[in-house]
Amino acid sequence: MDWLFFGEISLAGLAMGGLYALIALGFVMIYKATRVINFAIGEIMMFAAYLFLAFAGGMELSPWIAMPLAVLGGSILGGVIEKTMIRPMLGESPISVVMVTIGIASILVGVVEFFWTADPQLLPQFLPREPVFIGPLYLAPKIAYGFLIGAAVLVLYLLYFRFSRGGVALRATASDQAAAYSMGINVRRVFNLAWVFGSLAASLAGILVAATGGLSPQFGIIGLSVLVVVIVGGLDSILGALIAGLFIGWLETVAGAYLGGEYRMPATFVVLAVILVIRPYGLFGTHEIERV
Amino acid sequence: MRIGDAKQTYQADEAIWTSSTQKFWFSLLLLILLVFPFLANAYLLYLGCLVGIAVISTTGLNILTGFTGLISLGQAGFMGVGGYTVAWLSLNTGLPFPVALLLAGLMAAAVGILVGLPSLRVKGLYLAIATLAASVFLHFIFAEWEPVTGGMAGLSLEPAHLFGFTFQSDFRMYFIIVPLAVLMVFAARNVFRTRVGRAFIAIRDRDISAEILGINLLRYKLMSFALSSFYAGVAGGLFAYFYRVVTPESFPLAMSIFYLAAVIVGGMGNLLGGILGAAFMTLVPEILKLLTAALTPFYPNAPVFMSPMLEIIFGALIVGFLIFEPHGLAEIWHRIRRFFSLWPFRN
Amino acid sequence: MLKSILSKGRRLAGLGSLVAALTVTAPVMAQDKDPIVFGGSIPLSGVFAFAGVHLHAGLTDYTSWINSQGGINGHPVKYVMEDTGYEVDRSVAAFKKISGSDAPAVYYGDSTGFMKAISAELNSMGTTLMSGASFATALTDNEQYPYQFIPGPNYSQMFGIILEYIASQGKEGDMPTVAFVYSDTEFGKDPIANGKTMAADLGIKVVEEIVTKPGSVDVSAEVLKLRRVRPDYVVFHGYVLSPINEFMVQMRQMGLDTQFMGTFWSSDKLIIDKMGKDADGYMGVMPYNYYDSDETGPMLDALRAQAEKSDPKAGYRPTGYMQGWFNAMVWTEVIKRTLDAGKELTAENMAASLASIENWDTGGIIGIPVTVRDMSFPVGRIWRVNAEQGRYEPVSDWIHLD
Repeated sequence: MDWLFFGEISLAGLAMGGLYALIALGFVMIYKATRVINFAIGEIMMFAAYLFLAFAGGMELSPWIAMPLAVLGGSILGGVIEKTMIRPMLGESPISVVMVTIGIASILVGVVEFFWTADPQLLPQFLPREPVFIGPLYLAPKIAYGFLIGAAVLVLYLLYFRFSRGGVALRATASDQAAAYSMGINVRRVFNLAWVFGSLAASLAGILVAATGGLSPQFGIIGLSVLVVVIVGGLDSILGALIAGLFIGWLETVAGAYLGGEYRMPATFVVLAVILVIRPYGLFGTHEIERV
Repeated sequence: MRIGDAKQTYQADEAIWTSSTQKFWFSLLLLILLVFPFLANAYLLYLGCLVGIAVISTTGLNILTGFTGLISLGQAGFMGVGGYTVAWLSLNTGLPFPVALLLAGLMAAAVGILVGLPSLRVKGLYLAIATLAASVFLHFIFAEWEPVTGGMAGLSLEPAHLFGFTFQSDFRMYFIIVPLAVLMVFAARNVFRTRVGRAFIAIRDRDISAEILGINLLRYKLMSFALSSFYAGVAGGLFAYFYRVVTPESFPLAMSIFYLAAVIVGGMGNLLGGILGAAFMTLVPEILKLLTAALTPFYPNAPVFMSPMLEIIFGALIVGFLIFEPHGLAEIWHRIRRFFSLWPFRN
Repeated sequence: MLKSILSKGRRLAGLGSLVAALTVTAPVMAQDKDPIVFGGSIPLSGVFAFAGVHLHAGLTDYTSWINSQGGINGHPVKYVMEDTGYEVDRSVAAFKKISGSDAPAVYYGDSTGFMKAISAELNSMGTTLMSGASFATALTDNEQYPYQFIPGPNYSQMFGIILEYIASQGKEGDMPTVAFVYSDTEFGKDPIANGKTMAADLGIKVVEEIVTKPGSVDVSAEVLKLRRVRPDYVVFHGYVLSPINEFMVQMRQMGLDTQFMGTFWSSDKLIIDKMGKDADGYMGVMPYNYYDSDETGPMLDALRAQAEKSDPKAGYRPTGYMQGWFNAMVWTEVIKRTLDAGKELTAENMAASLASIENWDTGGIIGIPVTVRDMSFPVGRIWRVNAEQGRYEPVSDWIHLD
């Protein structure tokens, strides 16, 4: 058993897992506050990545200006989607809302294809190019730095949740909407902010993933892997998103390396199936009690 | 103008056609369907067959999602099971198509029951994701189980045949697909006249209450899965006979979403809605193509934008119908009919 | 309600196809001979549009050119096409529509999926010869696909040409090692089994086989696997751009001096444009001379002239354009041979004419005379990216497989 190799593969997997955790965080934020399973998260990521392509590639802005702009664009997109398409669906059955997000995903794919064509794209380089070595273990620079950026943002989010007023408002709304209303929290605004911040996380992750693996209108398929992460972790658990993200990222990479690339998805879906059977609400999710 | 609707027997209450006008229009429809292939050109015939297959599959999904409330993202997978079953039978046995289609349906139903097993443990969106997982696994099996499914290259089929008569052309396939579609929609309509159908609806409305009333949840949920997958399997088998080739990429996730959209746009829990939705979703790309052809003289680049426009329109239709007309095309149709039947009164 | 939809649809369909036919046909010279129709399901939008747009340009320009030369044996040529967005059912629909309205003698199919799906109908129709964008290995099975041909080597033959080149770079008893990297799709897996057999026959060891899942993936784990085996060559297939760039950059960063090679659809300007300096040294197998290569020939020059004329601002024309043009060339040759032999333009006769092509001089499109084998043209050349010049340069002779 080549432990060096295993170590390197695991590192690569964990680095990817960090990005999954970031996307899952965005997803969980949206679910926690608004109870919406956002099937369009992969497409929001894609949109932000295309914006980055336009700013840094087309308009030739510095990547360090283009990135915040693109992330801002993605966040605004999230806010607009919430206001125009999710808000009217308040009170409808969950399947309808899910289908709306699926429709939104389709619209975003069409929009992106309309302006940028369906050609495969590479993002302009902005991450350092020298390989990273942790001891004797090699790590590809893009995912190493991607992981660092993602982790930094994640920590910021967690601090925000814990200590700021906005974070408290979000947590309050997530646990009991009626009580939050009666405490004077502007719940509508919280909904919108949840989408904005969720899309922010997703947008940043989208740019990083696209920088690693290329961009095309089919980018959104990464949403499937993220879905596995959030189900395994628990739809409304931030801790679950983090841990499941790292785990699924690691598992996917290890399965791909030792079994073959075609086993990446089935391996993670096996975990999904197992979780659905033994612990449907995820490792850290809250169990919903239904009353007649 | 019809005012009252008094029935005197339970039988009359459950009847499918309540007036002779209805029967007349329905007979007219059947006549049109019969005559259509003789008048239509190859292209319209092709569309007619496609719509027929879509109607069967949408009706099946409607039973599961619209009437029983179990969201399924695995419709394409079940169709694939049916398609591959038919393909395998066509290559390895000489079975005539009715037997092959029946077996395809049963095979898909069996897989459907398997996939439906988690439905007691998980509900709502979690179940949807379980069906998604099933879809991924099925796709994996189609692609990797080479000896049986031909792997990535798939399987090619002999045309459907019965007693030596082969159904080579679209014209002939039409006469398998459309009658079968009519039959299966009827069968579905009938299911909802029986207690099984009522049980499905009860489960959709409030399954805990249904259980209290004595409906065995697991049994009826599995039955719903089985029935819906049977429809999907038959549709998949017809798909296989029609295109004469099945590959893992013939039944992608996008197809599951297409059928879910058809159910929603048409009107969930409404068989007419299923038909309208299937026809509408199949014909929208064609209408768009005509529009593009009409615009091309003015905007030579129009075709390049057709594909993205199609995506946008597809998504916008789903979002639009869900926000503005959640009961779908069927509701619009009923409104039109109500308008005419109540005229000159408003309500 | 159904009835009104039907008749309206039929009227619209008729009007629409009339408009479509009128707007995309090349100018037809006033002849009293019946036009010969080139039909096409062309992916002007969708995932294959990057090539489809140029395929269409190649076919359109060739039609203009051949008409300026008096058509085929005096028959004017009409090119009728429809956009398919690279979706099989739309391709099939387009084929049925065009077959119904225009009776094409030859037809361009946009994907392997379409070619397979339509084969049953094509065989029973017997009126149309088909080729297209697919180089799938299966299509050279003349029993199943008697009226379909490939305008170049199929993917397995491309692998064969690549492997022959690799073998030629080795010394007796010390063959280079090779790794195959391909995508988990029908396209990607197509030539792999044959590739492994051919490698074994040449004494080349396939030290690793990497399958990547479609979509935007991180391939660093796969690169680590390749680092372990240190292959001399990596052959990519089933991709257009990503993740070839990541493999190349990362492996070079690790200090490996592996050479990278690819097949038809990943051997075009896109690689150079998007990768810049990093593309240097990448090699591809290409059956046609590149538009911007130093090669010349009467047909190649005519192609360049026509391309200039139709769009002077375009500059370089990608391999898709060459492929479209060459396709039409083969159609012309096949139709000419059939008509010259006094035979009717049926699929069977045209297929026989195609099979009779031996040592045919293509006027510079392909550098050596070509012979048809099993309804394909198993010929190609290895070209290498010169990043500074921004183009591909030949590094091998023309290899014609038997």
